[in-house]
Amino acid sequence: MARLEILEFPDPRLRTKAQPVEQFDAALGQLIDDMFETMYEAPGIGLAATQVNVHRRLLVMDVSENKGQPLVFINPQILTSDGVEISEEGCLSVPQIFEEVQRAERVRVRAQDRHGKVFEQDLDGLAAVCLQHEMDHLEGKLFVDYLSSLKRDRIRRKLDKSRRAQPLSSSRIPTPVA
Amino acid sequence: MNTRATRNDKRPPRRAVQGAASDIAAQVLAAAAGVVTTVLEEGRTADDVMMQFEDHPQLRAIRAVALGTLRWWSRCDALIAPLLTRSPQQTAPLLRALLCVAVHQLQHSRNPLESTVSAAVNAARLVGLTHAAGLVNAVLRRFLRERDALVAALESAPAQRHAHPQWLVDELRSAWPDCWEALLEANNAHPPLTLRLDLTRVSREDYLRQLQEAGLEGQLVPWLPTAVIVTKPVAVERLPLFREGAVSVQDASAQLAARLLAPVDGERVLDACAAPGGKSGALLELAPELRLTALDCDAQRAQRVADNLRRLGRTAGLVVADLTAEPRWWDGVLFDAILLDAPCSATGVIRRHPEIKWLRREADIEALAEQQQRMLQSCWALLKPGGRLVYATCSVLPAENAAVVARFLAEHADAREVEPPAHEAPLRRANPGWQMLPMQEAGGDGFYYACLKRLATGEGP
Repeated sequence: MARLEILEFPDPRLRTKAQPVEQFDAALGQLIDDMFETMYEAPGIGLAATQVNVHRRLLVMDVSENKGQPLVFINPQILTSDGVEISEEGCLSVPQIFEEVQRAERVRVRAQDRHGKVFEQDLDGLAAVCLQHEMDHLEGKLFVDYLSSLKRDRIRRKLDKSRRAQPLSSSRIPTPVA
Repeated sequence: MNTRATRNDKRPPRRAVQGAASDIAAQVLAAAAGVVTTVLEEGRTADDVMMQFEDHPQLRAIRAVALGTLRWWSRCDALIAPLLTRSPQQTAPLLRALLCVAVHQLQHSRNPLESTVSAAVNAARLVGLTHAAGLVNAVLRRFLRERDALVAALESAPAQRHAHPQWLVDELRSAWPDCWEALLEANNAHPPLTLRLDLTRVSREDYLRQLQEAGLEGQLVPWLPTAVIVTKPVAVERLPLFREGAVSVQDASAQLAARLLAPVDGERVLDACAAPGGKSGALLELAPELRLTALDCDAQRAQRVADNLRRLGRTAGLVVADLTAEPRWWDGVLFDAILLDAPCSATGVIRRHPEIKWLRREADIEALAEQQQRMLQSCWALLKPGGRLVYATCSVLPAENAAVVARFLAEHADAREVEPPAHEAPLRRANPGWQMLPMQEAGGDGFYYACLKRLATGEGP
């Protein structure tokens, strides 16, 4: 097993749209195990492949208190969703930032397991929120996209500042057209 | 996803940039030092940081001093370095910025040297560096005594002489071996204030007359019929027909991007990175019956597109979406033409945004090129066979320009580079594509353009 590097906002690779998983082989199993290790070590409750620079549609989660309920969703699709849940989210790709985001309260998801078998599952509360958050990653979307751009810029600056030692990330300097 | 372990609501302290002293010169230097510090420490654009002074009576002076200092930052910094006991890096950022602002003024302003020094000492007190007022005084006076030797020491290396980071000098030298040094000089020149005229509403001759009546002076850009340069810069509100929306501020190179797409009334066109809306406006003025979709990923910047188009009295469909994500906004009808003015290093507009030299890092270029490639691919999927696409950037680095387009052409059998529509602009062949460099006579900003066509099925190579 190996810990993987987690990409951090505003890394443009986080904006990549993931492609479906087609091969359910040993390499996929290895990736899933590595993603769990990376998630538990971080520590986090969910991790999408996009965050470790693998642009395939899979994510891992464990929202249990004692970290004993690992869940894998491959090629997930939300079938139905209802209710409104506003909760504070954080993201391993946007370290130290926590903001309130509105999501569906309950979702029914269809996905495949690590062997390719299709399953459906109902999720609610934190699990539903986490699933929606991770599925956004597969579309190249981050939870900060739900915030005002003012807030997002502030976050970007805050992160830039905290990584001062590292090279400045590619924040866009707007082209001067009035 | 993760959840919060401990609350951490510490807010950064507000930097004092505005004092109550009556000394205007000191206020200007203090404010400019604050702007320079915030730009360099927080990686924000000077325009953005200047917003806090929008209503300041000394806005123009603060802006001029701050931009001038950013333009010559590494030079000012190198001039004070030998005078400090600690290295500039170990000096408090605000103090270092104030010293650089003052040195820039001593070098470039026509104010008496003595009054600049005393204004800088007062500015130190205004920004809360009272303890360093004596140091500011001592350093600046010693600078004046040793100025000639200090300046002479910087003349040998191009990076120091032209105040550019070494990596950028190296990139530009290898990209433009015949004129890299002129390019470095042009990056430090003051940019022209260029206007775009809506020729459906006012003719060039008419507008030059109106400028003259308003006590201003205009000059035609010979290679672009919509472009007029105002030779004495002025607040935009004072420009004739600005409020009426018949005139906009836009560099000639950006105007040219719209012209190279050659929009025709009735066509469905996508402006793929539209904010703040200058190119959307230009497209609609060339073809008022265009069915234009203006897309941008940033909601707040997209709002500026709406504001700009409202002033022009033009309409477009506005979409806030990430171009490279699944196009949920799209109705499934392919576009006739797409203008992709991709996010880039902005190394072609350093004369307008000198902070780019210090904020941009060499490592950014590769990531930008990847993003540009993805955006180009996303646009291609929205373009109808037989349709045309103009890829543009305000970069002068081949890695973001010809290299991106060359790779795209190699990977897409249905993509061809085509001749741009007839124009008179002084473009250099970049193969593939065309480059405007900012130092040409009456030249626009540094800009790159490639005109691509998506082959219709059955259309031979």
